[in-house]
Amino acid sequence: MKKSIQILLASLSMVSVSACAFDLGELKGKVDAAKVKVDAAKASIPPVNPKLAEAVKDIQGPSESEEIAIGRQIAGNLLGAAPLVKDDKLQKYVNRVGRWVATQSERPDLPWHFGVIQSEDMNAFAAPGGYIFITLGLYRTFQSEADMAGVLGHEVGHVIRQHHLKVLQQSKLVDAGSKVLSKSVGGNDKVQQLIGSGAEIVARGLDKDAEFEADRIGVVLATRAGYDAYGLPSVLQQIGHAAKDDDRVALLFKTHPLPEDRLNKLGSAMGDRFDRVKGLTLEKRLLKVKQ
Amino acid sequence: MVLMLCALVQNGIALASEVGAMSKADDMKAEPFSDSKSVKALSVGEKLDILSKQGGWFKVKAGKTTGWVRMLSVRKGDAKKGAGNASGLLALSSGRAGTGKVVATTGVRGLNEEELKAATFNEAELQRAEANASSKTDATAFANQGKLVVRPFDYLPAQ
Repeated sequence: MKKSIQILLASLSMVSVSACAFDLGELKGKVDAAKVKVDAAKASIPPVNPKLAEAVKDIQGPSESEEIAIGRQIAGNLLGAAPLVKDDKLQKYVNRVGRWVATQSERPDLPWHFGVIQSEDMNAFAAPGGYIFITLGLYRTFQSEADMAGVLGHEVGHVIRQHHLKVLQQSKLVDAGSKVLSKSVGGNDKVQQLIGSGAEIVARGLDKDAEFEADRIGVVLATRAGYDAYGLPSVLQQIGHAAKDDDRVALLFKTHPLPEDRLNKLGSAMGDRFDRVKGLTLEKRLLKVKQ
Repeated sequence: MVLMLCALVQNGIALASEVGAMSKADDMKAEPFSDSKSVKALSVGEKLDILSKQGGWFKVKAGKTTGWVRMLSVRKGDAKKGAGNASGLLALSSGRAGTGKVVATTGVRGLNEEELKAATFNEAELQRAEANASSKTDATAFANQGKLVVRPFDYLPAQ
């Protein structure tokens, strides 16, 4: 048994060391390879040690309900930093548009939640399991419902491709030896331990390629949902317009590639594929918010 | 024809006199379609007045010529003097062009890393957020009200 744990730890450290050097696609291959090793380790011993079973699950990735529990913890922490805008009509509206966009993805049945939070920042946040929040400052830049659909589509992209979850899995693997196997913690404490302090995970940037990928997904989901494809690019242009030393975009610019780079990448990816697509902008349906 | 005009008026979003500059060289077209006739070649950094938007196109005025350019060939905002050359554009994209603007903020501090790190779980707010969730049925009904029609579209490959 002790030997099996050693094998497992060896696999864990192998994954964590090599993970840094590869992009997400290659990382998946590495994790899959590690899974094979773990499966082999599992097959050779009866899986009775609960700590070992726990560690095995850590490598294989959390189940959907665990993914949602992780997202819920992050969402609750984020709302601790910035509460919802007290406007139920607005919140309901954003949920309807967001759910419609998310329904066009390959994970339509996640319990999707959307919200507008009280902050003049221009930013949007996604947490695993389908928790998505946009700031009031960002909402104010929208000129149409299609603009919002594109932004929510970008965040839905992070959720369906599990971008944050992958970051957590990486950092968890690093900690696995010291935390998972040394201490027994329960319930939300365990989830909290996994995600670090408060909502710091959303303040941490993702891989640039993950952002570009989410941009490409955003325009496609908005298009599938019947909207004009150029909502997200429009918002990026608006944000690019903001001065680089404007505090309202400080965190966004720190955690994302600059809007100019995103627009260039998106422009090449979109090309003329959307020329024949006639989507709706629905600018008249965009709910106005008080100044 | 009347219907078509109505559709155009509905789709086009009038913009309150915005300015911009070409972020890359592109043709100005007579109509907002890629196979429409080119009316003028626009070079990088060329200043524009943005008049309206339709789909992926801006109706713009460059000098005395009015026409349509792809919105992704345009950078919004004031074109700095000399923005037409590479150094101007580089300065903009690396954030150094804004140094002349001292007062750009309202003094409201944004969400920052420390605040987010220090944030504590707010169950009451989270429950409010969850109470506002929309079901697939509800979201679909709302989409139908807006005449949104689903269409298949493949994900885009990375460039």
